[in-house]
Amino acid sequence: MNICIMGFGAVGKGVAKVISIKKDELKKKYGLDLKITGVSDSSGAAISPDGLDPNLLLEVKEKEGRVSQYPEYGTDNLTGLNFLEKVDYDCLVEVTPTNIDDGEPARSHMLKAFKDGKDVVTSNKGPLALNFRELTEAALSNKVKFKYEASVGGAMPIINFAHDTLAGCNFESIFGILNGTTNYILSRMAKEGSAYEQTLKEAQEMGIAETDPTQDVEGLDAACKIVILANSIMNKDVSLKDVYINGISKINQESILLAKKEGYLIKLVAEASDDTLEVSPRLVKSGTPFSVDGTMNVATLNTDLAEDVTVVGRGAGSIETASAILSDLINIWKS
Amino acid sequence: MRLDLVLELLDVPGQLLDVMEPISAAGANIVTIIHQRDVKTEKGMVSVQVTIEGDKETLDAVLNLLRERNVNIVEIDGVIQKEKIRTIIIGKIIESDIKDTIERLNNLEGVLVADLDLKMAEHPKESAAKIIVEADFGMKRDVMNKIKEIGEVKNFLVINEI
Repeated sequence: MNICIMGFGAVGKGVAKVISIKKDELKKKYGLDLKITGVSDSSGAAISPDGLDPNLLLEVKEKEGRVSQYPEYGTDNLTGLNFLEKVDYDCLVEVTPTNIDDGEPARSHMLKAFKDGKDVVTSNKGPLALNFRELTEAALSNKVKFKYEASVGGAMPIINFAHDTLAGCNFESIFGILNGTTNYILSRMAKEGSAYEQTLKEAQEMGIAETDPTQDVEGLDAACKIVILANSIMNKDVSLKDVYINGISKINQESILLAKKEGYLIKLVAEASDDTLEVSPRLVKSGTPFSVDGTMNVATLNTDLAEDVTVVGRGAGSIETASAILSDLINIWKS
Repeated sequence: MRLDLVLELLDVPGQLLDVMEPISAAGANIVTIIHQRDVKTEKGMVSVQVTIEGDKETLDAVLNLLRERNVNIVEIDGVIQKEKIRTIIIGKIIESDIKDTIERLNNLEGVLVADLDLKMAEHPKESAAKIIVEADFGMKRDVMNKIKEIGEVKNFLVINEI
């Protein structure tokens, strides 16, 4: 199976790494020979129909900062749709930086791949949260596979879990802690009694929060994810603009202490239920699955047949997210 | 047949008698009664557990008489009649008329603000308050939405239970 990777940041590099680690195992277990026939980043690409060496890709990216420096097969200025024209592939792994204003350029990349009859695996929340139906319908009408497990909850299984393992169930509500950064900040504030600004700064220094933390702390990232879950699992037709969003930047130590006194914690919770689509700080009881610490993610699916089912897992990280992409690739291969 | 009741009474003299009267007036027998004045609820009320005996009509009559006297019935045969809803709000809570905030909640049918715990932050920071509301069973969504609505009007961050 030939794959091309668009975007070579943390997730793209993680995909190259897990392919390098698992290459022999995948052949033995599934008879799957994953070949990376092309990789593009913001400045150029590397293309080889015989397959690029994942370790060399990582080395070049590390040293030179761009994949176009890949020996022999690197080319400058070949990006986006032109790249997709040139590369020979079966499945596109779309992991370019997410854009929550218009979902571009990832949306166009995916639509082109569908039109060309290619499968797509992505972790890209933006286009999924903005144009979910457009993308899934394009995949359907071109009779190709479209998988996006890595877009929600990193390594925490949820989308395929709901579709496959819980097949036959209807989903009445989904509650989840879907953003690791805010959960880390709130956990630290509760444990150490530190102020919000100070804790955010620490998280930034540790690389857990980004330099511009807006998307995380104002709840936009979690909102994208609950939109994806509502569309994909609950069969709704909603978009980012339909979510009622409150972030955590107003949470103070006073409120955390009041919650503690009652045996509760404050967490940023995303909810999709009958009449609600919301991301907001909520009170959760200490000692329940929702009191997870640090950057962990958790989600509870309320189903008609199996009652509540709760999943927990690592919500971010290069290798963790790549594990979800790899499982999508394997599932496409198996089917 | 028997009926187990949990009632809440004000901690002032004569309250227990007020409850006993309708029971005997309706002709029901008291099987047990547990009354602990030392243990108070959030509202500072005293909880009383009573088991009474009688035929169905008698027991219904007791319930009606108690309701007529506005006695707070918390549980009937183990079924909770009221539920507690906790919320924390952050904002300019005092400045935006805290009395009005409470009244808006109390104006909902079957809803009563039972406890309010306020933590003032130094100016210009925002204060936080914990509100515990007791409401008739099944009112949770309505109460949560009402608090959200108040939050939108008064620019509070509302932290509801899940």
